[in-house]
Amino acid sequence: MSEFLQVKDISKVFNPEQEFEVAALSGINLAIGRGEFVVISGPSGSGKTTLLNIIGGLDAASGGAVILDGLTLTDLAEKELCLQRRDHIGFVFQAYNLIPVLTARENIEYVMKLQGKSQQDCDARVVEIAEKLGIAQLLNKLPNQLSGGQQQRVAVARAVASKPKLILADEPTANLDSGTAAELMAMMEKLNREERITVIFSSHDPMVIAKARRSIILRDGRVVQNEITP
Amino acid sequence: MFRSTGSGLLVARIAWASLLRRRTRTVLVVLMIAMSLWGLLFMQGLYEGMYEQMIDNAIRSGSGHLTIYAKGYRLEPDIKKLITNIEEVARFLAKDQRVASVVSRINQEALAATANYSRNAKVLGVELGAEQKHGRLADYLRQGELAFGPKARGAVVGSGLAKKLKISLGHKLVLSAQATDNEVSAIALKVRGIIKTNNLAIDDGAVFIDQAKAAEFLGIGAGVTQVCVILHSEEEMVPLQQALRQKFTDLEVFRWDELYPALMQSRVMMEGFSYVTYLLVFAVAALGIFGVILVSILERIREFGIMLAIGTEFALIRKIVLFESFIIGFLGYLSGSLLGGLTLNYFRVHGLDLTAFSEGLDAFGLDAIMYSIIKPDYFVTAFLAVLLATILSVIFPLRVLKKARPIEAITKL
Ligand SMILES: Nc1ncnc2c1ncn2[C@@H]1O[C@H](COP(=O)(O)OP(=O)(O)OP(=O)(O)O)[C@@H](O)[C@H]1O
Ligand SMILES: [Mg+2]
Repeated sequence: MSEFLQVKDISKVFNPEQEFEVAALSGINLAIGRGEFVVISGPSGSGKTTLLNIIGGLDAASGGAVILDGLTLTDLAEKELCLQRRDHIGFVFQAYNLIPVLTARENIEYVMKLQGKSQQDCDARVVEIAEKLGIAQLLNKLPNQLSGGQQQRVAVARAVASKPKLILADEPTANLDSGTAAELMAMMEKLNREERITVIFSSHDPMVIAKARRSIILRDGRVVQNEITP
Repeated sequence: MFRSTGSGLLVARIAWASLLRRRTRTVLVVLMIAMSLWGLLFMQGLYEGMYEQMIDNAIRSGSGHLTIYAKGYRLEPDIKKLITNIEEVARFLAKDQRVASVVSRINQEALAATANYSRNAKVLGVELGAEQKHGRLADYLRQGELAFGPKARGAVVGSGLAKKLKISLGHKLVLSAQATDNEVSAIALKVRGIIKTNNLAIDDGAVFIDQAKAAEFLGIGAGVTQVCVILHSEEEMVPLQQALRQKFTDLEVFRWDELYPALMQSRVMMEGFSYVTYLLVFAVAALGIFGVILVSILERIREFGIMLAIGTEFALIRKIVLFESFIIGFLGYLSGSLLGGLTLNYFRVHGLDLTAFSEGLDAFGLDAIMYSIIKPDYFVTAFLAVLLATILSVIFPLRVLKKARPIEAITKL
């Protein structure tokens, strides 16, 4: 169970051997089980974004390994990594980051289209996920016609639509008011429960942090707390 | 080309939506390409029409496709160097399927004089009936009639010569020239017609008179100085020239391009000119597409970054960018060709009336109304130029995109 995601001795140095060298992460070790709902918190600059990017294969580590479901991501070439991201990892960003020229529906089915799924499969899944997230009425709108909270729900739908093993969400609620944030967290929790998707998110917000079942706290690029709330 | 229909449609969808999103810019570049292509097609069709017209004028009013002289006549024209076996030549040409029309002429340098003025002129002893079928003399007639009148005492005079001599219809004109006996002979004629061919050699010097009259005036017993042949197709020119040379070893046979090298040069120059304009259109299309694609890539680094982050392969993004530039190039090509084709067709049928500038045009041997030409290869060449521009212009922007590491763009807010 605890073999699902392993982070082994990850370190990250930005601008190595330069004047502005920054050791963003050092000696990070984590083991996260399938289906967990994990929060990474810590002060600004503690390395949350950097860690999520390395786990998701968006950034290269300076040392150490990330092993997802038996596959060592840190060994893969960019092209391979890209396909791993497509098929197994969903991303939710603080700034929503929907594809601006595509409608909500097209954004949600985007990854499935990349995977070559048929239109029927896409349609069925979009309807299912849109119902769960309460965005069925928004499907034909473009991102700039949606509010921040609506965009973020579409972004969550996009991340889970292709049924990835893992969702990485970097401060998904940072741009939302507390009511909308709570709603979004409730939905992520529901997806985590119902679709058995492992979720790792970062946050500053105590109310959001409280929703997680495992809490990891970083400080100066190191894990200072890693505990499961009963 | 696409790995699956799904992602192929995705490419088209994103490319098209992105172009629509930046509609003004897209339309501007499309217009830019269309306008330059339009200008190119217009100029090319008109210029080519113009020089074909010049050549046609020269062929119709002067040399024909082929001109036959007696040996040595061309380098040193002499009334004693005559094509005496004219009957045999005429029979040979009459049998040949490639020949459209044949005329014979007696040419001699002369002095044309009125009571007050005199000018160098060229006597052309012609058979009017044959000439009318041969060239477009009737079209060229500006005043009077194409006829030599009773007792063949009339003359048809080039417009430039008439102007210099200040003569018009009904005026008297005296021609004097050296006859075959080396004595100067003179003849009095009445102006019955004035022609303007835009072939300067004719307009500024020709006096057409009856061929029998010319023979009598110049003391020629039998024969002519020149035979002109018009063919059904210009391609037959060289073979027939060779056949004639072989058959009549005592005669010299020239093609029009040998007689008027300047005209041929203008055709060659025209080709050079059209290369330059194609290069220009290519450059406009390439720069236009390059600019738009580069700017739109720079604007979308973040957007492409998201796409890469959630698992889009770079190859797909490359396809999107290529597709966008193809759409721009193709729309530009389509509208430019359409505009250019329609314009050229209009001027092919109605002609471009430059009567206002006709004085100046005369000096180049041009008609006042120019008719354009349309050839399919204009459009093929233009298509290739735009296609090449389209492909080349995205190479650099794509490299910029690859270097920009879009992943970094999304992690920064
Ligand atoms: N591209 C980069 N180049 C240089 N230094 C960087 C880069 N990205 C992050 N850092 C540094 O690495 C450290 C960790 O940054 P990171 O963004 O991971 O922190 P964070 O915990 O996500 O902070 P926040 O809560 O403000 O989002 C910081 O000191 C930051 O300045
Ligand atoms: Mg961060």
